[in-house]
Amino acid sequence: MRVFVILSALVVILFGASLLIGPAGFGPAESLRALLGEQGDAVTLVMREIRLPRAILGVMVGISLGLSGAALQGYLRNPLAEPGLIGVSGSAALGAVIALQTGVAASFALALPLAALTGALIAVFLILALAGPRGGSLTLILAGIAISALAGALTSLALNLSPNPFAVSEIIFWMMGSLADRSFTHVWLALPFMAVGWVLLARLGRGLDALTLGEDAAEALGIRLDRLRLMLVLGVAASVGAATAVAGAIGFVGLVVPHMLRPFVGARPGALLWASALGGAAMVLAADIAVRLVLPDRDLQLGVLMAIVGAPLFLHLIYKTRRQL
Amino acid sequence: MSLLHLSDLSVLRLTCPVVDRVSFDVSEGELIGLIGPNGAGKTTLLRAVLGLLPFKGHASTAALSVSQRARHVAWMPQAREIAWPVTVDTLVMLGRVPHLAGGAKPSEADRRAVADAISDMGLAGFEQRKATELSGGEQARALIARVLAQDTPLILADEPTAGLDPGHQITTMEVFARATQSGKSVLVSMHDLGLAARYCTRLILLHQGGVVADGLPDTVLTAQNLAKVFGITAHVERTAQGLIFQPLSVLS
Repeated sequence: MRVFVILSALVVILFGASLLIGPAGFGPAESLRALLGEQGDAVTLVMREIRLPRAILGVMVGISLGLSGAALQGYLRNPLAEPGLIGVSGSAALGAVIALQTGVAASFALALPLAALTGALIAVFLILALAGPRGGSLTLILAGIAISALAGALTSLALNLSPNPFAVSEIIFWMMGSLADRSFTHVWLALPFMAVGWVLLARLGRGLDALTLGEDAAEALGIRLDRLRLMLVLGVAASVGAATAVAGAIGFVGLVVPHMLRPFVGARPGALLWASALGGAAMVLAADIAVRLVLPDRDLQLGVLMAIVGAPLFLHLIYKTRRQL
Repeated sequence: MSLLHLSDLSVLRLTCPVVDRVSFDVSEGELIGLIGPNGAGKTTLLRAVLGLLPFKGHASTAALSVSQRARHVAWMPQAREIAWPVTVDTLVMLGRVPHLAGGAKPSEADRRAVADAISDMGLAGFEQRKATELSGGEQARALIARVLAQDTPLILADEPTAGLDPGHQITTMEVFARATQSGKSVLVSMHDLGLAARYCTRLILLHQGGVVADGLPDTVLTAQNLAKVFGITAHVERTAQGLIFQPLSVLS
């Protein structure tokens, strides 16, 4: 309960900070007045059309990644699982890359995220077809690895065959992941998918708790593993697919956040779900604030910063875990 | 009342029967040892009864819904898996999952069942210890406590005493024996025939998927059965302390 309060407070504070920090350099009072007030000046425009959607997307993407990471780790009973494992983010990225490479992305505003969502959707059908009807976890990992590898290869092919260097640099930049220059259109596009994903994943707690005892014991405790796995795949695909579609590939959140918070919820996979959702939101918001503070004029990409911060953090966690073993 | 009824239950692996037309009934208050050599089909039979494997024939448990079955029969698999460093308390509370509606907080009755199971398995004082940091035998006892906490009329356990020290092997069998006094029945697969002979009210001997003998321990552990199924000779003696069984030699 205390963890819940602390994490919620952290998200609220970081959300506020995200609204107040930016290159336009307004004072906090001025910013808040503009956000809540009626006058239609430039400050209001910046607050409502640039910073607010950016902060909201940060929360949404963070919840999606944290929740998916926790659910996958719980299901696979492996602290190294992360949302990219089942190939959804790779496939969503492939869809976006194809849109950028062919120039479809420039045809209308939502072409890129829609292409990414289509990629995620195709990945889900492939996973479910490959992994088979029974609820085993091994086939899911293998199917995910195969799909990730294929999506990665096709992404490289798209880069390889790219008609001009500008498209290549655009693709590479997009793949780094960022929340800059997003609008409410992105929020409204991603929200329905993410919300469905969150609801599906949030209902898995009991089943994931029971899976602590292994698949056989969980099934004998009345957990329908086939249904659990279906909900897991659909939930991860909907939320992470939508997150990748609007923000690009942001790694490490889904891997590190559940790992960091596990000791604080008594290692219970069910309790880790909501904790990781909040923790993920806080981490993405913090990283998105950091990219604006560290190198404000160099357009530092969120995914890059996350990897630079996340990898050493993860090394530290591995080091600590190793000592416990 | 019958807690389990099997008739002509067969499990096929491709076309080869791993469990071959097994029929028996389990009534209330029985402690049944399921014995047989490696690969006799003990685990497969138990998993089929739980609906974890497709099978042919009839099993009364198969007629129950998944959630009804979880309140009727508890299962302790042979693989003692504890995936996360949860406390012993949390681990044993997982046995209450079938009794809790989705998301409901454990009631006073749930907590009592957990506390009773923990003290039955001699784990009092271990409640807040991380289950993954216990020794192998202590983990096994914590997992048995989880099965007891599920509080079902029928318990199926796959080699629950393997890896326990002699004292805790005896304690475990006594806990199961005590459970049968309140009308529960326990079906345990085991390799320690001495322990089986002493504590089980009935033995079922499996060989190559089929039931070779089913009855009181001394009627099952005959020289003929032991030679045929295990290829061993043994000393079996009825004493004041109960049936004593000691394997002696391997028949060539």
